[in-house]
Amino acid sequence: MDRLFARQRVKATSPSGEVDIDALARLVTDAYDQAERDRRRTDRSIALMAEELDQLNRGLEILVEERTAAVRDRETRLAEQNLVIDAAINNMSQALLMFDAQARLVICNRRYIEMYDLPPDVVLPGKPLVDILRYRQSTGSYSGDPEAYIKQLLATLARGESSNFVVEQPDGRTIVVVNRPLADGGWVATHEDVTERRRSEKIIAHMAHYDALTDLANRVLLRERLAEAVANLKAGERLAVLYLDLDNFKGVNDTLGHQFGDALLKGVADRLRSCVDPKVTVARLGGDEFAIILSDLSHLSDAATLAQHIGETVRMSFDLSGHAVLTDTSIGIAVGPDDGSEPDELLKNADLALYRAKADGRGTYRFFETEMDASIKARRSLESELRTALAEGQFTLHYQPILSLTDNVISCCEALVRWRHPQRGLIAPAEFIPVAEEIGLIVPLGEWVLRQACADAASWLDGVKVAVNLSPIQMGNANLVPTVVNALASAGLPASRLELEITESVMMQNTEATLAALHRLRKLGVKISMDDFGTGYSSLSYLRRFPFDKLKIDRCFIGDLSHADALTIVRAVTTMAKSLGMITTAEGVETADQLEQVRMLGCGEVQGYYISRPQTVDVITRLISDYLPRQAKIA
Amino acid sequence: MHAEQLSWSQASGWTSRNGGSAPAGLVLYFGMREALASGAHYAELREKFPHAHLLGCSTGGQIHNNDEVDDEIAAIALHFDSTALELACASAVHPAQSRICGETIGRKLAGQGPQDKKLAGIFVLSDGLNVNGSELVAGIVSVVGEDVALTGGMAGDAALFTETLVGGNGPPCKHLVAAVGFYGDSVRIGHGSAGGWDEFGPRRRITSSQGNVLYQVDGKPALDLYKRYLGEEADGLPGTALLFPLRIQDPQHPEYELVRTVLAVDHTANSMTFAGDMPEGWIAQLMHGNLDRLAAGAADAARQAAAGTAECEGVAILVSCIGRRLLMGQRAVEEVEAASGELGAGMPRLGFYSYGEISPHGGSGVCQLHNQTMTVTVISEMAA
Repeated sequence: MDRLFARQRVKATSPSGEVDIDALARLVTDAYDQAERDRRRTDRSIALMAEELDQLNRGLEILVEERTAAVRDRETRLAEQNLVIDAAINNMSQALLMFDAQARLVICNRRYIEMYDLPPDVVLPGKPLVDILRYRQSTGSYSGDPEAYIKQLLATLARGESSNFVVEQPDGRTIVVVNRPLADGGWVATHEDVTERRRSEKIIAHMAHYDALTDLANRVLLRERLAEAVANLKAGERLAVLYLDLDNFKGVNDTLGHQFGDALLKGVADRLRSCVDPKVTVARLGGDEFAIILSDLSHLSDAATLAQHIGETVRMSFDLSGHAVLTDTSIGIAVGPDDGSEPDELLKNADLALYRAKADGRGTYRFFETEMDASIKARRSLESELRTALAEGQFTLHYQPILSLTDNVISCCEALVRWRHPQRGLIAPAEFIPVAEEIGLIVPLGEWVLRQACADAASWLDGVKVAVNLSPIQMGNANLVPTVVNALASAGLPASRLELEITESVMMQNTEATLAALHRLRKLGVKISMDDFGTGYSSLSYLRRFPFDKLKIDRCFIGDLSHADALTIVRAVTTMAKSLGMITTAEGVETADQLEQVRMLGCGEVQGYYISRPQTVDVITRLISDYLPRQAKIA
Repeated sequence: MHAEQLSWSQASGWTSRNGGSAPAGLVLYFGMREALASGAHYAELREKFPHAHLLGCSTGGQIHNNDEVDDEIAAIALHFDSTALELACASAVHPAQSRICGETIGRKLAGQGPQDKKLAGIFVLSDGLNVNGSELVAGIVSVVGEDVALTGGMAGDAALFTETLVGGNGPPCKHLVAAVGFYGDSVRIGHGSAGGWDEFGPRRRITSSQGNVLYQVDGKPALDLYKRYLGEEADGLPGTALLFPLRIQDPQHPEYELVRTVLAVDHTANSMTFAGDMPEGWIAQLMHGNLDRLAAGAADAARQAAAGTAECEGVAILVSCIGRRLLMGQRAVEEVEAASGELGAGMPRLGFYSYGEISPHGGSGVCQLHNQTMTVTVISEMAA
């Protein structure tokens, strides 16, 4: 019998042994109820547990999915990164290899395979370096001893040092190989084909020492060679440095253009080379300057002979694209060690000698002499001071009045430029104008004079003209007319109040272009005067070719009026001028007698100390206004 | 040592078996709250045993040899030949005082007793609703040390969870903790504890708790979880929560696991109060019982307890969880029978269904508050 029921029966049995059926039934029913409750609870527990586990399971599934997605994502990124790294490695211009501590290949890029034309199985990961090198040995791209090389390389790397060397390949390539140690005992090797770079370096090195236009040595190489030559001089030996420049190179450049200028330089370079032994250094120092080193000079006359020969050679006409171009060269010669034991000193002295050669009339040569130094230094300093003078406003204008004898008024003032030197005070034009012409400063200086003179004249009494001198160089400048127009326009001065004074030399040097410019100026209303008439060729043909407004009779005739011939000339000139419709101005009138004489001779105007010395603009402005009282006195 | 078993029933009054001439030193008694509340039966016992320490409590049912009974008071009067006894009481008005309470008991028992007799064991009964059993045990152990065998239980109140009573040399009252100390070399205290519950469902984590008050597991209210699992039986909370104890486990020490049972629920705070601590971060897993496995557990506990006292006669005190009785219903007696089978029919057996069992942990040996277990204490005395 079931133990439970046995107990239930005991419980339902009274001490007297009677079984209480109702009590027994209650106990049994309770037991059933409880069993039922247990069953339901168990069922529910199982269902809930299953549900919970299912939820957990789903949560885990989601988690796994998320993790899987994250892992996949990471893998994708890793793959992308690998792609990038792969692309980077395989598109390097250098060949790259990585080896492990056992000298086995870990990775190798495409460039390495291409560089040595290797089959892919030779460079599989894990391949010992010795095998790769043996293969390359068999195909001729490696010529060393693989075992010995690796032994030495490993020893170097073991010390933590890089190994770095250049290999000249049999096929002509130059390869730079670098092996750098890695922390794990392996190393990274790069092979770089530097053939092109080396070639470029050679070209650059050449460019650093040779002139690109003429392929002559440049200043750098010249100095090196000169230093070498000076250093190699033995007792009693001498060398010469010839310093050359072309005499009208600027003219060629300006008139024919730079292409012709360059062609001329190349032509000159060729001829210079032809004049000397191929071992002799011929250099172009820049612009139209050349130099030659004669290192084994037996006699000084050898240098002179060469200079002579060069002069003759260069003087021969150059045919530049059908243009026959003539040029000449001036040559300065310095002899070492007499004129200097340092390259720079020799070059400087040769340059000084060149300067003298040019000053002495061009187309010639000069040996350096010690005294050249001082005078040329002074000249150099004047040049450099002149250049800064214009920029710093050191120039000023003085004016000398010209008196009209017909109505006794100041009809014109001649502008005369002065240099107010900060140390030396006022410097006369005779001292600096030729230098300014020579160094090309005359054009900007002339322009400044024009503008300043026009500006000053604009404040004078109406009818008073201003006269400005033009140098031959200014006349040859194509910009002359626009410069004059601009000067008048900025000053607001009518063209009729400007007189331009030119000398005979202008008419001699520039012909057609000069005449055209003069005509254009005349057309504007500008007056043109012939200055210093009677001092040059006094060719009357100029007077025919251009209708000058005025002839200015040179001061030498006026000072000489006591002599009959001077008197005759002045009278002839005034008569001739009058007949040609020109005014005459007597220059250099210093006395009352001279004034009266020239008046009698028919001069229309006078200029000179008797009227007034050149004055500052303030004084001259006052003088113009104040002139009436003096006019009465003169009359 | 001599043991006299007594029982009281409405119908028969006090009856005794195996009464002896030697005066008893200790009387243990267990009864339903309503039977003990008046203090009348305590007075009767005091009259019978004027020199004995009287220690008893209200229960969820008494175990008397092989029976489990509700309508009797079960008692046992013990005479020890050479073992000295002391009784100590402490009141816990609030669960927060549980540890202090334990320390007080520990101090009193450690300080009493004859000079020549060492404290060998403690049997403690505690208010089952107003004391945190874990803290109480920790308090006692902190004073007497882990070598003193500590067993006992939390008083019960059927499955009502209304009020529990404990009496120590006085009429039973609430908020009381009372314990008897055994002194001397002769006394032997064997103990065993086992559950037999099976965990089921997902392992959860305690995410919000405070002492023995549990709020959330896995971020959700624990009370909701119980209501779902109990279904229609949720109306019987907190009692029905005993059907699903929680096994808790320190993740740092997975081998160290405890079973916790519910003492009270607070529907407003959505919280559940357990008989012991529910530390945050610990793993919790629902458990359910199976009659045969529970009975096997009881037998296991009895076997452990008897092992230490095999060579001498003694008495067995069985403290089993009310949850086990609720689940087993009329078949609860089978676990008592299973335990008796291990102890031998001749050994007097007395016990009660409790709101918590106190016994050294099978794994760590450190005394713990257990829930949903059968704990067996075998007290014996070596012949002089």
